[in-house]
Amino acid sequence: MYRSSGFISFFLRRLTGLALVLYLGAHLWVIGSATQGPAVFDARLAAVQSPFFKLAEIALLAAVWYHAFDGVRLLLVNWFRVTSYRASLLYTALVMTVLLTVMGGLPILLFLLEG
Amino acid sequence: MDTAIVRVQRFQPETDRRPRLERYSVPLTADTTVLDALHWIKTEVDGSLTFRRSCRHAICGSCAMNVNGRNVLVCKTSLAREVGKGRPVTVRPLPYLPVIKDLVVDRSTFWEQYLRVKPWLVPLVPAPDKEFRMLPEEVAALQNAETCILCGACYSACQVVGLTKEYIGPHALLKAFLRVLDPRDTLPGERLAEVSGHDGAFRCHTIFNCIEACPKGLNPTQAIETLRLLAQKRERFEAERVGRQSQWAEDGSAP
Amino acid sequence: MRWFQLQRLSAVALVIFLTVHMVVLHYPPFHIDFSRVIERMAQPLWKAIDIAFLFFVLLHAVTGTYAVLTDWQGVARYRRILAGSAIGLGVAGFIYGAATILAFQPPM
Repeated sequence: MYRSSGFISFFLRRLTGLALVLYLGAHLWVIGSATQGPAVFDARLAAVQSPFFKLAEIALLAAVWYHAFDGVRLLLVNWFRVTSYRASLLYTALVMTVLLTVMGGLPILLFLLEG
Repeated sequence: MDTAIVRVQRFQPETDRRPRLERYSVPLTADTTVLDALHWIKTEVDGSLTFRRSCRHAICGSCAMNVNGRNVLVCKTSLAREVGKGRPVTVRPLPYLPVIKDLVVDRSTFWEQYLRVKPWLVPLVPAPDKEFRMLPEEVAALQNAETCILCGACYSACQVVGLTKEYIGPHALLKAFLRVLDPRDTLPGERLAEVSGHDGAFRCHTIFNCIEACPKGLNPTQAIETLRLLAQKRERFEAERVGRQSQWAEDGSAP
Repeated sequence: MRWFQLQRLSAVALVIFLTVHMVVLHYPPFHIDFSRVIERMAQPLWKAIDIAFLFFVLLHAVTGTYAVLTDWQGVARYRRILAGSAIGLGVAGFIYGAATILAFQPPM
């Protein structure tokens, strides 16, 4: 593999994308059970509330935000002449990912530690 | 006399089953290039070391290789600066291409994809007996892409090329861009159609390795983005070109 | 070219839908349970938003996975089969998901 920051961005984008596709299946399985009434729904939801899943939820947040911000970076490169800013755009995407993951992940972490 | 350790990937198909790294201790001055080092190894240590080179001043494009993980022209890569990075200097052939021998790779797919985009200008024939006038901005837009020396550094750095040799590649797409944007060319519609398939401009994943690798500072990524935009309005672009060419035939005026 | 355009279109749509989804659900730090879901899901507006969200998510997931798979030289020759399966899976997913969303009625 050719060593470069662009490669890292590409690889992470693909990795998070595939992870999100797998998550989508699981998410629809849980949420879709709402039509089967509270018993089934709550049971499925309880199955994914363990500490392992809570930590996975924070990782999921990171994956979603990274994929979104890197995707926005691609849209900017597509529509505007910003190739000379490619490094700072990647850096911004990473910073935004960390920020939003911490913002959303902290309540989850606190909930986990309390319960 | 200062010396530097240079590791060179060797592969002699008659005797080796796998490539291996050989260490050499080469003389080092402030002006020594990596190409100088390779020449020194060939003349003083091992005459079987095989590599491509010609002009030794960054215009022929023969000596593109991978030095410490980056694709460069070794004739303009300072050995002292590479040594200064703290690791042993490692010279390998261009990645993602089959190795024929030592540092020489098989560039067939590079050339096939290049020919596929019809890299030559196809002007109006017969040409009207008047000057074809272009705006300075139109000429300036082509200047970057014209400087390409076909060294292969971008093609060989591209991750998509690494995954599939069906991808046209940054070198050929840059050339296609050059011809599509040239108002003298009569084939923009056909060229845009050729690069808008599944293995053309839309297969670029904006990894930017081509820009990082290019020894001439060219920007294939931007060229590919432009091709993507033009491909999506191909018919209109072609109609404008036809209009421009017929205007030339009529009165030779600039747009 | 079409796959690329669809992927970009769905990406832009998802930026909007995702923001809405995050602001409504995941950023107010409440815990998710059945009651929070039913109060939203019973409203026609939310049903419509969720169906549209699902549509664009599936579009983006299908075009994205197709792109990842067809980048490999070995897989690329099965391009047509992959395209057909991708579209098929997407349509099936959408029908199932939309039907579920529409069918949802809060229990009495």
